[in-house]
Amino acid sequence: MSDVRRSLALVWRTLRSMRTALVLLLLLAVAAIAGSLIPQAMNSPARVEAMFRDHPALARFYNAAGLFDVYGSWWFTFIYTLLLISLAACLLPRSRALVRNVRARPVAARELDGFRHYAERTIPADPERVITGARRVLRRRLFRVEAANGRAPGLAADKGLAREAGSLLFHWSFFLILIGIVWGKGTGFTGFAVIAEGETWTEAHANYDGNIREGRFFNEDHSGVQIRVDDFQVTYGPNLVPKDFVTRGELLDPRGNPVRRVDIRVNHPAEEGGVKFYQSGFGWAPVIEVRDGGDVLYRGPVPFAEDPPPKGVGQLQLPWHGVVRLPTLDPQAGIQFELWPDSRALLMLQSTGVAPPMPYAFAPVMRYTVYRGNLDASPVRSSTRLDTTLLHTEASGIVGAATTVDVASGRIVEPGPSGAIDYPKGLSITFPELRRYTVLEVARDRGLWIELLAAILILLGLLPALYTSRRKVWVTAEPDGGAGTVLKVGGFALQRKTQFEEEFDRLVNELAGASSGRAEGS
Amino acid sequence: MTSAQWARLSQDLFNAAMAAYIAAMVGYFHYLVFRKRPAWIAARGLAVVGVGAHTASVVSRGIAAGRVPWGNMYEYSSLLALLVVAGYLVIVEGRYKVRTLGGFVLAFSVLTMGIAAVRLRVPPGPLVPALNSYWIKIHVVAAIVGSSLFALGGGVLTILYLVQDARERREAATLAAQAPPPIMGGASIDTDPDAPPHFEAGGDDPAAGTTPVPRALLPPAAVLDRMAYRTIAFAFPIWTFAVIAGAIWAENAWGRYWGWDPKETWSFITWVIYAGYLHARSTAGWKGRKAAVLALVGFASLLVTYYAVNLFIVGLHSYAGVP
Ligand code: HEM
Repeated sequence: MSDVRRSLALVWRTLRSMRTALVLLLLLAVAAIAGSLIPQAMNSPARVEAMFRDHPALARFYNAAGLFDVYGSWWFTFIYTLLLISLAACLLPRSRALVRNVRARPVAARELDGFRHYAERTIPADPERVITGARRVLRRRLFRVEAANGRAPGLAADKGLAREAGSLLFHWSFFLILIGIVWGKGTGFTGFAVIAEGETWTEAHANYDGNIREGRFFNEDHSGVQIRVDDFQVTYGPNLVPKDFVTRGELLDPRGNPVRRVDIRVNHPAEEGGVKFYQSGFGWAPVIEVRDGGDVLYRGPVPFAEDPPPKGVGQLQLPWHGVVRLPTLDPQAGIQFELWPDSRALLMLQSTGVAPPMPYAFAPVMRYTVYRGNLDASPVRSSTRLDTTLLHTEASGIVGAATTVDVASGRIVEPGPSGAIDYPKGLSITFPELRRYTVLEVARDRGLWIELLAAILILLGLLPALYTSRRKVWVTAEPDGGAGTVLKVGGFALQRKTQFEEEFDRLVNELAGASSGRAEGS
Repeated sequence: MTSAQWARLSQDLFNAAMAAYIAAMVGYFHYLVFRKRPAWIAARGLAVVGVGAHTASVVSRGIAAGRVPWGNMYEYSSLLALLVVAGYLVIVEGRYKVRTLGGFVLAFSVLTMGIAAVRLRVPPGPLVPALNSYWIKIHVVAAIVGSSLFALGGGVLTILYLVQDARERREAATLAAQAPPPIMGGASIDTDPDAPPHFEAGGDDPAAGTTPVPRALLPPAAVLDRMAYRTIAFAFPIWTFAVIAGAIWAENAWGRYWGWDPKETWSFITWVIYAGYLHARSTAGWKGRKAAVLALVGFASLLVTYYAVNLFIVGLHSYAGVP
C-alpha cells in the first residue's frame, strides 16, 4: 500500500520536474520530424500508396507503427498528453504560489548592507521627507511598496509579479488550445464540394460524395445553405503560373432565398450560416448527353480529373478524363472520356509527339470508348475512371464541341434542315458545351475563436515572462545626527542580475534626488 | 524606369552589397586577429555601405515586381541576409559594443546570398494566389525577422560561444597544470547568463580602455553565452507570432489553421526546440554547453525549415484537379 503510494509520489514528482517536460518537449519534436519525412496518409495519400506498391514490407511496418499517420497515432497522442499532464503538474503549485505571492506584501529586511546591491547616501532632508520621496519614486517605477519601520523609517518594495503571472498565462493557454481543438474539430466538419458552373449545391451530407470528415460530436446539423456557381475563372500569368482563381456565384439560405452574391478566391473565403467556403481546386466539366434512340439516358456536366504528370511534362499538357455510367442499360454500359480542352494540342501531339499546354479552351474535343458488361462487378469505385478489366469494348471515337456522334458508326450526326437533330437508333453522344467546375472546401469550426484567444494569451503571457524580472528593494532613512538623513538602499534581483546593476544605480540616484530640493521640481 | 530596369538595378545593387560584405568580412577578420582600429572602421563602413546597397536592392526588387519584395525564396534569402547584418550592427555592435564578431556574421550572410544568387534567383513576377494576401506582410516579415535573430543568436553567437568556451577550458586546464591553483579558485568559468560580465563594454578594443584586457580573439565565453541567450529570447516571441500568423493565414487560405504540412511541421519543430532551450536555461544542469547544443540543434532545424522544406520536401497544395 505504502509502496504504491510511494511510487505514485515518485511518478508525480517526476512529472512535476521541468527536466521531464524538457525531455517530453524534445520527444515531441523528434516525433514531428518523423511525420515530416515519412509521407502522411492525410496529406499525400498518393505517396503512401506508392510506398505500399514499391516497398510493401516496409510500408506494412510503417502502417502498423502508425508512421503514416504520425500526428494521429497513439504514441504521438501519448507524448503530448503526458506533456500536458506534466505541464498541469507544474502549473498547479506555481499558480498557488503566485496567488500567495500576490497576497503577501513585501517583507521588511533586517540588514540592508548584506545584499549584493547596496548603496548609502547622505541627504540634507529629514527622514520622513526622504521616505515620502522614495515611496513616490518606487510607485512610479511600478514597485509594490510597504512601510517597514524598524529602528528607522523604512520601506520594503518589490515588483515583477508579472513575470510569473505571464509565464503561467502562457503555459495555461496550451490547455485552451486543446479545448479549442477538441470542441472545434469535434463539433465541426470539413468536406469538399465539386460544383460545375450553372449548378446549385446544397450543404448536406449526401452532397459531399463521401468527401467529408465529420467530428466525433457532430450530430448531422448541416446548415442547408446553398450556393449557386455562375462562373469560375482562372487566369494565368507568364510561364502559365496561375494568377487568380475566382468562383462567382450567389449564396442562398436553406429555403433557397438569395442571401448575397460572392466572389470566392484563395485567401477570400465566404461564410454563411456558420459554414465557410474556401476556393480549393478546379477543373473541366464537359456537359455530356447520352441518348438511346433519342431517349435521354444521361445529361449534365461531368467533372473530369487529371493524372499527375510524368517527369518533365507540365500538368496543363495532359488531357482530362471522366466517365459516364449507364447502369439501366442491359447489358450495362460505361463510357470513358478523354478531354482535350484545346484541340490544337491533340493535333500537335499526333504530329510532333509533344502536346502544348492547354490553359484555356479552344475547340475542345473528347475521345470516348464505350464499354459493356457488369459495372457493379468491379470493386473499384472511381468517379472518373472505369475499371475495364471485366468489361468489353464496344466502340470508340471522337466527339467535338457542339456536335453529336452516332456511337455505332462513329460519325457526326448532322442537324436536319430545321436545325433539329434526328437521333440515330442506338447510342449517341452529344457534347453541347465545355464548362468548368470549382472545388470548394466547406468547413465549420466553432473552436476558431478559442484558438485565436489562446494565441493572443500566449503572446501576451510570453512578453512579461521573458522580459520582466523580479526585483526587491529595501530603503531605510536614518537621521544622521544633524539635519540630514542617511539613505540606505538594498536590492536583490531574481533574474537578469547583470542588468540590475545599472538599474540599481539609477534607482538609488533617483531615490536620493527625490527628496533633496534639487530634484523636487523635476 | 521600366520593370526590367528596376530588376536589373536590384540585381546590380545585390552584387554590390555582396562585394561590400565580402570586403567588410575580410576587414573584420583582420581586426579580429590584429586589433588595428582602422581595419574595424573600414570594415564597419563597408558593412554599412553594403546594408545601404542591399536595402536599395530589396526596394527596387519590390518596385520591379509591383509587390512586397518577399514573395519567393530568392527574395527571402536576400532579406534574411540583410536583416542578419543589420541585426548584428544594431544589437551586437550597437548594444553590446562587441566588434570582433562581424566577420562570422558577414560570412553567414555572404553564404546565404551566394546560395540565393546561384540556386534560387528568379525574375520578379506576380505572387501565386495562395501568397496574395496582406498576411504575407505580417507573417513573412515576422518569420524573416525571427529567423535572422535565431541565425544570429542560435547560430553564429552560439558557435562562437562553444569555440571560446572550449578554449577557456583548455587555458584553465593548462594554468591548473602549471601552477597550484589559488585556494579560493582563480578564474572561475561562469556560465550563468545573468552573471556579472568578465568583460567591459568596448573592452575588446585595446585603444578604448586603460584596463589591460587579455588579447583573446573573442569576447569571453560568458558574454557570448549571454548575447546568444538574449538574442534567442528576443527572437522567440517573434517566431511564436510568425507561427500564429501563419496559422491564421492558413485558416484563411486553406480552410484549416493547422494541417501538419512540412513547412508548418518544421516551424513547429524549430519553435519546440527553442522553447526547450529557454527551459534548459532555467533548469539546473542544463546551462552553458548543453543549452548551447540545443541552440545549435534549433539552428539546424531552422535551416531545414528554410532550405530543405522549400527545396527538397514535396509540398502538397496544388490548385488543379479533384481532391
Ligand atoms: C507545451 C510545452 C511548453 C512550452 C512550449 C513551454 C515554453 C516555455 C517558455 C517559452 C518559457 C519562458 C522561458 C523563460 O521564462 O525563461 C517557459 C518557462 C517555464 N516553463 Fe515552460 N513550456 C512548456 C512546458 C512546461 C512544462 C511541462 C513545465 C513544467 C514541468 C514548464 C515549466 C516552466 C517553468 C518553471 C518556467 C519558468 C522558468 C523561468 O522563468 O525561469 N514548462 N516555458
